[in-house]
Amino acid sequence: MSAVATPAERATRATGVSLGRLPRGQWGTVLLLVALVVADVAVQPNLADVDQIGLLLQTALPAVLLAAAQTLAVLSRGVDLSVGSVMVTTNVLVATKLGGIEGSHMWAIVPIVAVGVAAGLVNGALIAYGGLEPFVATLASWAIFNGVALLILPTDGGAVPTTITNLVIGKVGPIPSPYVCVAVVLAFWWFLRRSPLGVRILAVGSDESRAFLNGIDVRRTKLWVYGMSGLIAGLAGIYLAGATSSGTPAAGDGFLLPSLAAVVIGGTSLAGGRGGIGLSVMGVLVLTFITDLVTNLQLPSWVAIVANAAMLLLVVSIRSLPNVLSRKETP
Amino acid sequence: MTARIPRRLSATAAAYVVCAALFAFATIHSSSFASAGHVRQLLVFASFIGFAGLGETLVILGGGLDLSVPWLMALGGMQLSIWSAGGMPSGLAIVLLLAIGAAIGLVNGLGVTLLRIPPIIMTIGTGALVEGYLMKVGLNSSSAVTAPKAAQTLVENRVAGIPLVALVWIGAAIVTWWVLKRTVFGRSLYATGANEAVARLAGTRVVAVRVTTYAASGAAAAFAGILLAGYIGQAYLAMGAPYLFSSIAAVAIGGASVLGGSGSYWGTVAGAGTLTILAALLPTFNLSNAALNIVYGLVILLAVGASRIARRGAG
Amino acid sequence: MTGSGIQPRPAAAPADPPPFGAGDADGLRVTGLGKAYGQVTVLEAVDLHARPGEIHALLGENGAGKSTLMKVLSGVVHADGGRIALDGRELTLGSPDAARAHRIRTVFQELSLVPDLSVAENLLIEQLPRLRVVGTIGRRRLLRAASALLDAGGLEGIDPRMRVAELSLAVRQQLELVKALRVEPGVLILDEATSALGPSESAWVLGHARAQASRGAVVIMISHRIAEVRGHADRLTILRSGHSVATGAPGDFDDDALIEQMLGRRVERLYPERTPARERVVLRAKGLHVPGSFGPQDLELREGEILGIGGLEGQGQRALMTALAGAVPFHGEIELNGEPVRYRTPRHAIRHGIVFVPEDRGAEGLLLSHSIRSNIALSSVEKLRGALRSIDPGAEREATEREARAVGLDVRRMGEPARNLSGGNQQKVVLARALLTEPRVLLLYDCTRGIDVGSKADIMAALAQLTARGVAVVYYSSDAAELVHLCDRVMVVRRRRIAGALDCGPALGEEDILHLAVGTRGDEEEEAA
Repeated sequence: MSAVATPAERATRATGVSLGRLPRGQWGTVLLLVALVVADVAVQPNLADVDQIGLLLQTALPAVLLAAAQTLAVLSRGVDLSVGSVMVTTNVLVATKLGGIEGSHMWAIVPIVAVGVAAGLVNGALIAYGGLEPFVATLASWAIFNGVALLILPTDGGAVPTTITNLVIGKVGPIPSPYVCVAVVLAFWWFLRRSPLGVRILAVGSDESRAFLNGIDVRRTKLWVYGMSGLIAGLAGIYLAGATSSGTPAAGDGFLLPSLAAVVIGGTSLAGGRGGIGLSVMGVLVLTFITDLVTNLQLPSWVAIVANAAMLLLVVSIRSLPNVLSRKETP
Repeated sequence: MTARIPRRLSATAAAYVVCAALFAFATIHSSSFASAGHVRQLLVFASFIGFAGLGETLVILGGGLDLSVPWLMALGGMQLSIWSAGGMPSGLAIVLLLAIGAAIGLVNGLGVTLLRIPPIIMTIGTGALVEGYLMKVGLNSSSAVTAPKAAQTLVENRVAGIPLVALVWIGAAIVTWWVLKRTVFGRSLYATGANEAVARLAGTRVVAVRVTTYAASGAAAAFAGILLAGYIGQAYLAMGAPYLFSSIAAVAIGGASVLGGSGSYWGTVAGAGTLTILAALLPTFNLSNAALNIVYGLVILLAVGASRIARRGAG
Repeated sequence: MTGSGIQPRPAAAPADPPPFGAGDADGLRVTGLGKAYGQVTVLEAVDLHARPGEIHALLGENGAGKSTLMKVLSGVVHADGGRIALDGRELTLGSPDAARAHRIRTVFQELSLVPDLSVAENLLIEQLPRLRVVGTIGRRRLLRAASALLDAGGLEGIDPRMRVAELSLAVRQQLELVKALRVEPGVLILDEATSALGPSESAWVLGHARAQASRGAVVIMISHRIAEVRGHADRLTILRSGHSVATGAPGDFDDDALIEQMLGRRVERLYPERTPARERVVLRAKGLHVPGSFGPQDLELREGEILGIGGLEGQGQRALMTALAGAVPFHGEIELNGEPVRYRTPRHAIRHGIVFVPEDRGAEGLLLSHSIRSNIALSSVEKLRGALRSIDPGAEREATEREARAVGLDVRRMGEPARNLSGGNQQKVVLARALLTEPRVLLLYDCTRGIDVGSKADIMAALAQLTARGVAVVYYSSDAAELVHLCDRVMVVRRRRIAGALDCGPALGEEDILHLAVGTRGDEEEEAA
C-alpha cells in the first residue's frame, strides 16, 4: 500500500497541497510582512494600537479592494488596467449625485454601484465576446472611464454624504470599520474559491482550452470575472469618497501600479490559475507598511513611490529566477 | 490570394484615408482649420505623438508594450531644463538624455526578455521609478521648470515654411521605414513579433531585437519630452500623461496588430495625424479635455476592432 | 518495466453484466463523415461501425485523421458533413457537453485535466454545481466523492487534494481514465490512453476497457502499439489520408497487410534510392546530457548518413534533438569534423551548419502570417544583404526560389502567406528554409507527421539528394516503418537513454525497433500475460 503512494507522497511533501494551505513559496512574503510590521512599530511605537492600525488599514482599503478586483482578472489569465478609473467614476458620482453632505438622494447609491458593475461587464463583453486581448480592452476603458470621471467632476471637490463617511471611519459594534471591511473581503474570497464559479475561474485561467473541453462556459466565466472586478472597483470608489470626504477624479492612475504590485507580491501567478485575494491582501499590506515606514522615518513621499516600485520589480524578478535559472530553453 | 505586403499597405492606406477624411470634415466644419498657421501647429503637435509613437510602434511590433513612455517624456523635458539651468550646453544635454532614455529602455528590455517579466509590469515599474526620481528633483509635482532655448528653437524654427520639428519627424520616419523594411533587424523584428518561438528556432536574435526596441522607445520618448518642453516653454511632472494613450492609439489606428508581427511606422504617422486633428476638433464642439480621454479609448477600440475584422477577412 | 504511474488494482471482471442496449443494438455508426480546415481535407467520407460489447481499434499513421475523428465524436470539433448514429438514433455533437450527454466519454490523448486544479476538482469538474460545493461542507463532499472514484478505479494511492500539475504524466493519464469512467459510458473512446504507461499500468487500462465492453458499451481504441491492438481489439478500422480504407478483425491482417493499408502503397516505392553513407564522422557528441530529459550519451554521425531516432513518444528524443540544435541548454562536448565546437543558441548552431527542422509547423516552424518567401529567407537574411547592408530583394527572390524548387514548391505562390498552404507544403517551406542555410547537419523532428504521401515522397527525395552530397541527417520519426526504410542506422531511445542502435538493411523490421522501444522481449511476455 505505502509503496504505491510514493510519487504522490513525494510530491505532497515537496510542495504542499493546494486547497487551503499556503504554497511554500509564499512564506517568504509572510516573513517580509512580519519584518516590515516589526520595523514600522519599532520606528513608531504608537502604531501598536488597534485604532492606529485601523487608520492604516483605512488608508489601505481602496488599494485592498482594487487589488482584489485585479486578482480576479489575473486569476483568469487576464489583467484589468481600468480598475483605477472605474473607481474614480463611482467616486465622483458619490461626490456629486447623492445630494450633498445630508445625503438627500441616498437611494442613488444603488445605480452608482450598478455603474461599477456595468463598467466591468463592458470590459468582460469586449474580452469574452469581442475577442479583444484583456490589456487592449482595459487600456481603452481605462482612458474612457478617466474621461467620464473628469466630465462629471473636473477637479477635486463635491460633497460626500455623512452616512458614507461614517461607515468608513466609524465602527461596527466594538470593531473599527476597516477591520470589518478587510474581513468581508477575505470572506468573499473564501466563499468564491470554494464555489463552482471560483473553480471555473481558476480553470479558465489555468488552461482555457481544457476548461472548455470540460464543459465550462469560458465566455460567461470571463464576464463574471470582469463584472465582479468592476463591482469591487466601484465599491472602492465609494469607500474612497467616504475616506476623503470628497471626489477625486484624477486619483485613479496612482492606484494601478499598487493593484498590480499587490497581486505580484502576494504571489498570485500572472499566468493565471493559481493564487487568490487573500494573498493579494497580504501584498497590499506589504506595500502599506513600506509606505508607512517611509513616512515614519520622515522621508519625503517620493521615497515611498520608489520603494513600492522597487519592491514590485524585485519580487517579480525573484519569482522569475527559478524558471530562468533552470531554463528549459536557451535565450 | 493575399500576400503580406499588400495587406499591410491597405491598413496603412486606410489610416491615411481616415486622416484625410477627418481633415476634410474639420475644414468644412471650421474654415480656419486648414490655414497655414494652423496646419503648422497641427504638424508640431502631431510630431510629439509621432515620436512617442515611434518607440511604441517598434515595441509593439516585437510583441511587447511600453507603459513607461509618459515618465520618460517627463524625464526628457524636466532633466533637460534642470541641466540647462545649471549651465550644461543644450546639445550635450540632449545627447545625454537620449542615452539615458535608451538605458532605461534597455533595462525594460532585459527584464522582459531575460527575466520573462510581463511588459506591463516591467514598464509600469520602471516608469514609477522614474516618477519617483522626478518628484525628487522637481521639488513638487505641480511646479514647472523652464525649458532651454535650444529645445524651443527646434520647435519654433521653420525651413521653407515647414516647422523644423516636422522635418526631423519625417526624416525619422523615413529612416524607420528603411530599417523595418530592408535591414536584418527589421526582418527579425517582424518575425519575433509574429511568433517568437519560431523566430528563435530559425536563428533570429530574439533577445537582442526586443531589447533594442525598448531602448529605442526610451530614447524616442525622452526626445518627445524634450520637444514638448520646448513647445510649452516649461516641463512638469504630468506632461507626458496624455501620451500613453495617444501613442498606443496612434499605433492601433495605423493598422499594426497589438499583438505584434505586422504593421508599419507610416501607419502610426497617420494615426498621430488623426489623433491631432481629433484633439483640435474637440474645442470647436465645446468638448473639454476630458472628452479627449474618451476619444482615445474609443479610437483604440474602433481601430483594434476594425483591424481584427480585416484580418479575419483576409486570412 | 513500470512507468511512473500508480500501481493500480486491476479492474474487476463483472459477474453477469446486463447488456447496455437492447440485444440488437447497433452501436456507434459513422457514415460519410467529412472535415476540412480551410484548404486541408482531414476527413473524407469516413465510415466506422463499432458494435456494442466490442473493443474496436482505430489505426492509421500520423495525420491519417484518427485524432480528428475522435474529436468529432467527442464534440470538440464539428464535422462538415456525414452522419453519426448511436443505436440507430442520429446524434448532433455540437459541443463536448453534448457528447457527454449522449454518454460518450473520452480519454483524450492530450489529457483534459486542468493543471492548476486539484485531482478532486478535476475528476468532478462537471459535477461541481450539483455537489453544491460551497464552503467547508461542500469541500468535504467533493473530496469524499473524489476518493470514492479513485477507489473504484483502483487508484487509492492518490491524494485528491493534490494539484494535477505536480503529478507525473503517467499518473495523469491514469486519472484521465478514472475521470472518463465516472459515469458508465455508452461509448468509451481511448485516444492513445497507454502512451505514457508501462506494461502493468497499460494492462489496467485495457482491463477497464474490456470490462466496459463486457457491460455492453462501445469501446473505441486508438493506438500505435500493434501488439496491443492484436492482443485486445476485437475489430479494427484503418484510416489513411482521411479515408477509412479497411475494416475487419485483427486476425484478418498480417503485419505487412496492416502497414500496406496504412501507407497506401507497397512500402518500398515510397522511399527513394540512396547512396550509402560515407566513412567520415561529421558530428560526434560525447556525454550529451540534458539534465532530467536525456543522457548522458555518446553519438556519432557520418557524412551522407541518415541516422534515425526512434522509440515511444516522450522518451527524450526531443531533448536530444533540441540540444543538438542549440535550443536547450546541455552538458557534454560536440565535435564537428573533428573540431570541438560550443554553441548555446539555435543561431550559433546554424552558424556551425547545424539546422533544426521542427515538426509543429504552425507553432514552431512557420510564421503563418508571413509570406512563403520571407519564411524561407528567415534563417539566412544576413547572407542576403547587398549594398548599404540592406537586404537585396533580388538576391532574396533568387535564393528562395531556388530552394523552393529543390523541395518541390510552386514558386508562383511565393508571395502568399504560409498559412494558405497544405501541411505537406508547409513542411517543405520549413525544410527549404533549413536548406538555404547550407547546412552540414540537418535535424529533422517528425517532419512527415500528418502530411500527405506525395509531400512525404518529395521530402524524402530531397533528403536523398542532400545526403548524396554529403550532408548528414538526424531523423526522428514516431513511425517505425519510415525509420526502417529510409535510414542507414536507427538509434532507439528509451527512458532518456539510447537503448540500442540498429543497422538498417533487409533484415531489419519494425518489430526490432518496437522491441527496443518498449523493453526487452521478456517484458513483452509479461505484458501479454
